[in-house]
Amino acid sequence: MTGYWVSVVGEDWRWRAFPTRGDYGAVPLNQVARQIADTWDPAKDAAAGEACKAFAAPSVMRIPGRLHITWQDDQTLKIETDSGKQTRLFYFGNLPENKVEDLQGSSKAEWDLGNAGAGGLFFGRGGAAAGPSGSLKVVTNRMKPGYATRNGVPFSNNATLTEYYDLVKEKSGVEYLILTTTLDDPTYMSQPMWTATHFKKQGDATNFTPVSCDGK
Amino acid sequence: MKTIYLLVGALLVAGATIGAQVQTPGASPENGAGLGPMVAGTDLSGSWRPQQLVTESQTAAGDLADFGGIPLNDAARMYALSWPASRQTVKQHQCMGYVTPYFWYAPANYRIWEERDPFTQRLVSWRFYGQIAQGDRTVYMDGRPHPPAYAPHTFAGFSTGEYQGNTLTVTTTHLKRGWIKANGVPQSDATTVVEHFVRHGDNITVLAVIDDPVYLTEPLSKASMLVRMAKDPDAWLYPCDDSEQIFGRKSDVVPNHLFGQNPYAREYADRRKLPLLAALGGVETMYPELANAIRDTTAAENLAKARMMPSGPPAVSRAPDPTPKDGEIHTMRVSGEVYLLAGDGANIAVQVGPQGAFVVDTGSGKLADKVIAAIAKLSAKPIQFILNTTFRPDHTGGNAKLQMAGADPSVTGSFFSMQFQGAGLAATIISQLNTQSRMVEQKLPAPPSDTFAEDRRRKYYNGEAVEAFPMPNATTDGDSIVHFRRADVIVAGDIFTTTEYPHIDTKNGGSLQGEINALNFILDRTVYIHDEDGGTMIIPGHGRVTDEWEVAEYRDMLVIIRDRVQAMIKAGATLQQTLASRPTFDYDVRYGATSGPWTTNMFVEAVYTSLKNPPKTENAR
Repeated sequence: MTGYWVSVVGEDWRWRAFPTRGDYGAVPLNQVARQIADTWDPAKDAAAGEACKAFAAPSVMRIPGRLHITWQDDQTLKIETDSGKQTRLFYFGNLPENKVEDLQGSSKAEWDLGNAGAGGLFFGRGGAAAGPSGSLKVVTNRMKPGYATRNGVPFSNNATLTEYYDLVKEKSGVEYLILTTTLDDPTYMSQPMWTATHFKKQGDATNFTPVSCDGK
Repeated sequence: MKTIYLLVGALLVAGATIGAQVQTPGASPENGAGLGPMVAGTDLSGSWRPQQLVTESQTAAGDLADFGGIPLNDAARMYALSWPASRQTVKQHQCMGYVTPYFWYAPANYRIWEERDPFTQRLVSWRFYGQIAQGDRTVYMDGRPHPPAYAPHTFAGFSTGEYQGNTLTVTTTHLKRGWIKANGVPQSDATTVVEHFVRHGDNITVLAVIDDPVYLTEPLSKASMLVRMAKDPDAWLYPCDDSEQIFGRKSDVVPNHLFGQNPYAREYADRRKLPLLAALGGVETMYPELANAIRDTTAAENLAKARMMPSGPPAVSRAPDPTPKDGEIHTMRVSGEVYLLAGDGANIAVQVGPQGAFVVDTGSGKLADKVIAAIAKLSAKPIQFILNTTFRPDHTGGNAKLQMAGADPSVTGSFFSMQFQGAGLAATIISQLNTQSRMVEQKLPAPPSDTFAEDRRRKYYNGEAVEAFPMPNATTDGDSIVHFRRADVIVAGDIFTTTEYPHIDTKNGGSLQGEINALNFILDRTVYIHDEDGGTMIIPGHGRVTDEWEVAEYRDMLVIIRDRVQAMIKAGATLQQTLASRPTFDYDVRYGATSGPWTTNMFVEAVYTSLKNPPKTENAR
């Protein structure tokens, strides 16, 4: 998974490329959440120093941009986004103690080898050496409330984000990273919110241009 | 009582045998298939529905001129902008199926199951069934090859799969022209789709990569998701019969917008407050760089406007020619006892049976000996009849050799044999009268001796009704089609090809309207099995075998081009002005040519000429 990846906005294009207030389509919001989403005002967020609410863990991977994925250490995978300049840390070992809630939350990672795993335990770097035979599963919680979509659909600090990362390689050599997410939020959603997103592997850091949440 | 037990036992055995045949399509040696995997990857079985956002953003509910995120080329954009939703009222469009991967975006139920060889428990195939249009896909896992390029296409296509770890990767070819999005964005019949299926608990994520050399500038990849249903819904069928939607409308009316005259081209962008450039799609809309492309709003608007009219250098077909060019004759059963022989110029059709062989067209003649050998493998009896659908040398070049290799025993011993020496010692060649005349005029070898003029010519041969119909002033004034009624195969000659614009020869009596009439005549005789798939099969003059869908698409194209050229003529345009207006712009990537015997400009000139000065007999039928 390490390297540079670019988001390919082949799915849910309008919602991701041009989010507008009230255009939350089939997101399973409850009435309270709808009221919040209908009053979304990005300028107000920026003025309050909360422009990054739309770049929280549930939404940042859906925003068109690029990722840089590296191992911070043998037990921690790091994802840096150029959109919003966010950093996500996936811990294969113990989660850091006393970490305060923030928009990226606390992410516990494990290799999910499913049927392809013939038993055994796999941890951290090298755990998925078998290539595309397994998934990276990441469960994130302890998130500070933010937006689940870029257009002000809220999530609460009760939310749990479950992500699966899968790699596939085309015969042409093109590599894709498929991200399957489930956002459970009993506060604002009547059922889980599912999304599928994907990225294409880049050869280098070309066009990886970190821009902060307020566009600066 | 013992008799009853024996009978029941026999029925059970018979049932088991039938069941095994149904479940083991890959085990047949004729498929050349190996064994499938014993241990498969992730189990995908069950009942599923699409995740909500998928149905919201990717299905028929999509807006007109909403092309963002699709790396479509200029031709595809113009195709989509000329498409009105009322196109769906045309008879052959009412029940069109869903191609892969659009199959997964219907707001409907899906069922997935596996089929295993009952004797080895190897995985033979995955089956995907979609409620809308009763999409029925088989993904072969036993290593069988994809069919040859000249084989028919379907909405489901032909799929093979393999596991990469837990990911099922499916490759699909032989797709019909269908949707990328149900707002007119086309997916061509030259497309290859690769789908990756990953299951996590009660979700399946599908990443589909659409590689369409005709309409996309780079492969379109998009992810979607299925959600497992705990209870199997009891709603799986999708009956669809087409019918008249608008009484009195002629069959040569196909709704379309002239270039630059789609009144809804901006509606979506304006309503959603999007830059028009973004809404019109293109590769830059699929990546983060879109933000750069629309930063200068004036420049973006001007570029968008330019993209709503034909521009750029002339395009040529990007679809591979399915005709074999290895110097061999390739034989394929089409239906019943009717076969395609491909590889020597125009397609050759052969019907065989106890009486002999009935051959439609004889190819260029360069490989005539191999054609004769291929027919001999199909029939121990001689070639009795040859029918030429046109006089062109690539259809009649093998006449002399095939005629001499055959015999017509219906003549031998008849009163003809008393009048003509050697009567019946060779095959009888049949054609429409004008085809004979043209061949004699042009001194082409072995012209037909048995002709018909305005009425159909019919025979009952090899236990099958065979009808030949003259098609006045289509590509020439001597075209015919042949319908083998039991096999339900129509041999269309050059009236229909899958490789080029129709070769309308105005000097020899061809006309665009006669060509459109001929295609509609074919469509009046065809019946599909389900949702524009199967049923009556068509052997074109050139290219791959089809069913009625491709004939309807070809007819639609010619009607749309006719309307554009007619509008130019009405406005007083000269031929040069008409050529400059690029009336075939959105089809050139599929059928165009800038060199060779039949270029796009030659076709447009034939259209212009025959619309300005139509032959008096073009509507004779």
